[in-house]
Amino acid sequence: MSLLQWKPAYSLAIPSVDLEHREMIAMINECHQRIEEDAKPETIERYLGEIYTGIGAHFALEESMMRRAAYAEYEAHKQDHEELLDQIRDMMDLYDQDIEAGRRELQEKLSDWFGRHFATFDARLHDQLG
Amino acid sequence: MLALIQKLLRLLLNGFKPLLAGFQPASLNPLRHLGSLTIFFFWIVLVSGIWLLIFFRTSVDGAYESVEYLTHSQWYLGGVMRSLHRYASDAAVITLLLHIVREFAFDHHRDKRWFSWITGIPLLWLVIPLGITGYWLVWDRLAQYVALATAELIDWLPIFTDSMARNFLSDDALSDRFFTLMAFLHLIGLPLFLVLGIWLHVFRINGPKINPPRLLMSGSLLAMLLLSLVFPALSQGKADLETVPQNIGLDWFYLAIYPLVDSWELAWVWALLAGISLLIFIAPWLPPRASRPVARVDLDNCNGCERCVADCPFGALTMMPRSDGKAYEAEAVVDADLCLSCGICVGACPTATPFRRRSELVPGIDLPGQPMAQLRETIIEASQHMQGQRRVLVFSCAWQKQANPGGASDTAVISLTCMAQLPPAFLDFILSRGHADGILLLGCGSDACTYRLGAEWTSLRLHRQRDPHLRQRVDSRRIAMAWEQPWSRYADPRTLLSVFRGSLEVQGASEPQTRPASVYLGGRAIAWGLFAAVVGLLSVWPRYQPIGVNEAMVSLSFSHAGERIQQCRQRSQAELDKLPPNMRKPADCPRERHPVSVVFQVDGEERYREVLSPSGFWNDGESTFYQRFPVMAGSRLLQIDMNDSGSPDEYHVHTQSLNLAPGEHVVVTFDRTQQEFRIQ
Repeated sequence: MSLLQWKPAYSLAIPSVDLEHREMIAMINECHQRIEEDAKPETIERYLGEIYTGIGAHFALEESMMRRAAYAEYEAHKQDHEELLDQIRDMMDLYDQDIEAGRRELQEKLSDWFGRHFATFDARLHDQLG
Repeated sequence: MLALIQKLLRLLLNGFKPLLAGFQPASLNPLRHLGSLTIFFFWIVLVSGIWLLIFFRTSVDGAYESVEYLTHSQWYLGGVMRSLHRYASDAAVITLLLHIVREFAFDHHRDKRWFSWITGIPLLWLVIPLGITGYWLVWDRLAQYVALATAELIDWLPIFTDSMARNFLSDDALSDRFFTLMAFLHLIGLPLFLVLGIWLHVFRINGPKINPPRLLMSGSLLAMLLLSLVFPALSQGKADLETVPQNIGLDWFYLAIYPLVDSWELAWVWALLAGISLLIFIAPWLPPRASRPVARVDLDNCNGCERCVADCPFGALTMMPRSDGKAYEAEAVVDADLCLSCGICVGACPTATPFRRRSELVPGIDLPGQPMAQLRETIIEASQHMQGQRRVLVFSCAWQKQANPGGASDTAVISLTCMAQLPPAFLDFILSRGHADGILLLGCGSDACTYRLGAEWTSLRLHRQRDPHLRQRVDSRRIAMAWEQPWSRYADPRTLLSVFRGSLEVQGASEPQTRPASVYLGGRAIAWGLFAAVVGLLSVWPRYQPIGVNEAMVSLSFSHAGERIQQCRQRSQAELDKLPPNMRKPADCPRERHPVSVVFQVDGEERYREVLSPSGFWNDGESTFYQRFPVMAGSRLLQIDMNDSGSPDEYHVHTQSLNLAPGEHVVVTFDRTQQEFRIQ
């Protein structure tokens, strides 16, 4: 079973952002799959590093779009981005120490965050920019 | 040779640093804001100039009187404005010259940075005439001297057939129109081009600093204001063309070339000016240098987030429509003519994180000469060679000229093109993965960053004020930033390193001790005071004597047409018939005239001998003579001989005995109607 599922409702009607959202979800799901298959910690770490980088770059793009559009809720939205990056970064260290705890974190926090962020922040962004 | 000059200039600039110690933090260092300080002085000049314009009268008689009124009757405002106008423009020359010296000394003018350097030359050529015309408008004794000398200098150029200097020989010859022309140049023409030029000078670089920090603005304004009150700018007596100014206070910032105009051949003065300009012009390519491979965009890793565009100090990156068919809107494109291969863009790229393990570490933008993947390997390898409890990894910018603190087993040094080339994620990576216990960043100088914004971006990223920032989770006490500061007690990186290493044991690195704010304030006051003193002093001193104490001046000034070489000849009927009907003039008059030769003697001693061809394409115009001679005061016999017919015996001869007072000015002219010389 995959962790996250892309829904048409998540679309921001911005092709680049939608593309990256799909890619991110695919990557997270793939990583989740590996964990389920009980892969080695090094592999997980590699996936997480990739997710961390990909999401970081995606946020950079989204933030630059928001700034250009002088988006009013930029600060709050960016804050939410930073929180996720911090969480992923924490997980990367956690996997080093306690693979079980890391796995729980990944499942709970990531799906929570994405569900909430898509439903709230990105939905509002869609109304503004899309 | 050039490198040696640059080194000496750097030493010279570093010599200012103890004087500037009051300007803390380093971002307040005036040497870092020379360009914007110059522009700020220009604003002072503009505002004070508008006040002066309101009261200024553009006429021979009105100019001096109106400035005198401003200076004395309205000293509390008009006088201060006048002084501010002069001193701020003098100060601008200091900051302007230091700006040039500094950019040159630190190699900021080289190669691909030629545009900003070369567009600065016209600014220089606008600022100096702006000052000269300003001194001219006051119409005092200095103005009189400047007017005549400038006119002579310009007369050397083959632009006008008649001599401009002849306007300034007697009060009758001078008209108000000349003041209108000067006022136009000084008030509209030159400033307009100057503003345009400043725009051209900065528009290609990223985030040019137009305004200095407020503390520098208030400090410089205060210094100029105090100087204006203590030492007001004054006129030097009304211009009087019947006499020659014998002793004047010259503003050396603008008028330093004038003593040369008096003592050198004008051709050499122009050669000097042209030579200096040419040298500045070709300086960016002296000597030619191979450039390193420029930054390269990898589209698979670029989503068009624009961070590199925002951080490139040289505007070498632009966003262009996507070329690879992916769903992204834009991609970064490198302009190879502007890219200096500093790597600051790589440091800004969100994909340049060393945590990437699954895919190759290829950022969206990278330097082929020092790729990020290789940097990660270098770091890992260096860390494997370090031993001890407090291992410090030192990143050293390639331009910092201090000793590298390497050698010990608990230290490793890695060289970077620019400190801002290092993405903050690398610091997180090194500390969290245990590759080192502390990181020391040794940059080339926050006030003289080789790549303009490298130090600034590094500092902002590490202080979490600019993306990509150092994540909160990273223990910032394990990271120390040190910019080259040769004057401080932390000058030696080895000292710095041992202090930093010591601080790693106890919790947190100790900041260098800050002194109380009053110490800084005192230091700044002294620095501004000295600056104001230099401005005030050099604006009138050392005084200059255009002619000797016991000398008077004699000017030769006249235009005269020589006789025609051939007389008119009546054409015969046969000749006329051959011509087209509209050209059948009965007389054929060849237009060419004889050259005019002049010999001028004082007390029988020949002072001048010249043969001048007629002007005009057909050699049918007048020959214009203009020359001035210092002559010892006392009883003198002047004799002038002129031949205008080509035959050796026909001379206009004029002899006159004169009693010349020191400083007196007499003009020898030729009366056309009476066909005889006059001495006035």
